[in-house]
Amino acid sequence: MDYAMEDTQNAAPEARESSKLSSGAQKNDTQSVTKRLQAELMQLMLSPSPGTSAFPDADGNLLSWTATITGPTETPYEGLTFKLSFTFPNNYPYAPPTVLFKTPIYHPNFDFSGRICLDILGEKWSAVYNVQSVLLSLQSLLGEPNNASPLNAQAAELWDTDKEEFKRLVLSRHRDIEEIE
Amino acid sequence: MSLSGIPWNHFDPLNHFPPRQDSTPGFYPQYLSSSAFFGHALPQLSSVLYAESPAYFNMNALSAEEMERFQKLSNEFEAELPGPLVSPKQSSNTVALEYANSDPTFATKTSALAVTHPFMRIMKGDGNCGWRAIAFGYFESLLNLRNPLQVHQEHERIKSLNVLLQQVGQEEHIYGIFVEATEEIFTQISEAIQRGVRDDQFLVDAFNDEYNSSAILCHFRFLTSAWMRLNPHRYQAFLSLPVDQYCASRIDPTKTEIDEVGLQALVDGVIDASGFAVEILYLDRSEGTAVTPHQLTQSRPTAATIRLLYRPGHYDLLYQPEPTVNMEPVVNYQYAMTSNYPAWDQGTLPFDVGSISMSIPNLMVDPSFGGLGASPMPADPSSPFRVSSPQEMYPQPPMSTPPPPMPVASPPPPPPRMSAPPPPMSSLPPRSTDGPQIRLNPLVMKPNLSHSLPVTTPFKNSPYNQAHFQNQDFEPIHWAPHESRK
Repeated sequence: MDYAMEDTQNAAPEARESSKLSSGAQKNDTQSVTKRLQAELMQLMLSPSPGTSAFPDADGNLLSWTATITGPTETPYEGLTFKLSFTFPNNYPYAPPTVLFKTPIYHPNFDFSGRICLDILGEKWSAVYNVQSVLLSLQSLLGEPNNASPLNAQAAELWDTDKEEFKRLVLSRHRDIEEIE
Repeated sequence: MSLSGIPWNHFDPLNHFPPRQDSTPGFYPQYLSSSAFFGHALPQLSSVLYAESPAYFNMNALSAEEMERFQKLSNEFEAELPGPLVSPKQSSNTVALEYANSDPTFATKTSALAVTHPFMRIMKGDGNCGWRAIAFGYFESLLNLRNPLQVHQEHERIKSLNVLLQQVGQEEHIYGIFVEATEEIFTQISEAIQRGVRDDQFLVDAFNDEYNSSAILCHFRFLTSAWMRLNPHRYQAFLSLPVDQYCASRIDPTKTEIDEVGLQALVDGVIDASGFAVEILYLDRSEGTAVTPHQLTQSRPTAATIRLLYRPGHYDLLYQPEPTVNMEPVVNYQYAMTSNYPAWDQGTLPFDVGSISMSIPNLMVDPSFGGLGASPMPADPSSPFRVSSPQEMYPQPPMSTPPPPMPVASPPPPPPRMSAPPPPMSSLPPRSTDGPQIRLNPLVMKPNLSHSLPVTTPFKNSPYNQAHFQNQDFEPIHWAPHESRK
């Protein structure tokens, strides 16, 4: 009750006003985001691309998904499966989703927290990109890292100089999906 | 850890340095709130960092949490921009005031602009302003023309451009949402015209709904992108990248500024077929006393012109004093007098008009046509320049009697009957001495004809009116607050 009191007294009046005003628009936006994500889900189920999967989380919230990609053949990641999380903003697809590797991964463009350095997930994001195209981009990044802008400088160096050591570090860092759950 | 080992490159230029209050007070200028500043000042800033003050960027001094916090701040950095996405129509004087104390060239050009283009709409500078200005201008022109058929045609045309999207491999489940948003606008415009709604607020509102307007702008972006990819030969020479890469990096991303090539492609691919003209007025420090106009569409008769004001990095919409109207349907006395109507019935005009029309003050608004001494108009009493009555004039739509277009600067058409007057004409004796002989239209003329011929109103939209912008002696009407109340 004290908290409620505090809220009414301290909250900036403009802020409360604006949140009231925008609530209607917010609702429509959420519907549009949902519509788009449903269309994407439908497409993923009708024509899945090999080596990728994605599905909304079980909690019924369409704004967070879990996805997997499989390492391409003839790369250090061959045969490994990686789990990722997608979090979609309220103005998706006009802003990119936040994508994180849940599986620990050793790669020049991903850091140890699973964060990803990929231009299309940042300033080059376009509303034509979707879950599927992001997954395919990440998959190809596994085989062709962008060493010009590394998040993991050591990995970038080893990729160029010592592929054996690189592969050893990839395998030592990797955990199976079952293990991390 | 040496500086060279720091992975600088993964920061993008826009959010390179998150503002921070601690550790190095004063190093970051307080005005880092504009993304434009980052873009322009970055090279200097970086060189300063490397050359003079590497100590500030000893990354080891920052804990991982701090780094993480900065990264988060920088990722989420967005310049705070005041104002709506599309502003209400407002006076261009705001721009003039903005530049009043700046470079004299700007001051001169902006105050001239406020006279020639008294109204404008400010677009929010969020990276979409050029796209938004064109898209809004397009729909607004369509609404202002109030032609339901045209709205329908344009709706169908834009819908048919989906083919372009399919041809470049875009999938319907992705682009369908954007097309829907655009179609919704067409529907709203149709309804507004049918219901006779004059207020364009619904259009402004639709464009100020961020989600909705993002969808429309994405639609226009992807049409432009598809158009460029399908017509690479037209644009490749102007680009430093292959067209595909250019589109992926400069057209498709949701918040990239439109550049000249993209703008031309947008006009070519999406707007041009509507018949609307697109003109940019460049406000820069080039020599001259007025903004530099540039037409993006081919010059042709057009029902509407979308006018953009360009200031480096930003586009707004501009409007001329009167809504640009289609010149052709304008029927006025001047036109009637200078046209050779085949249906002219000489028998109904038992008088000569030449001397009369010359005696009407201010009738010849075109200075090359009469008036001040050097008149090319022959003082011939049998002159064919006659005032016709409305009964004769209006039943004939101007379209059906191929109207000779009236170029502004050209002299009036030579009296066609001077050399070979038709029989009825030649049979008429000169009547200049017969006194005023003109049939009066009770609607427009009072008995006291010579003082009350309503020349001003019918001439309003004619290039022969000095208040018309195409008149060679054009002088804008200066409105004085007290006169209108008299």
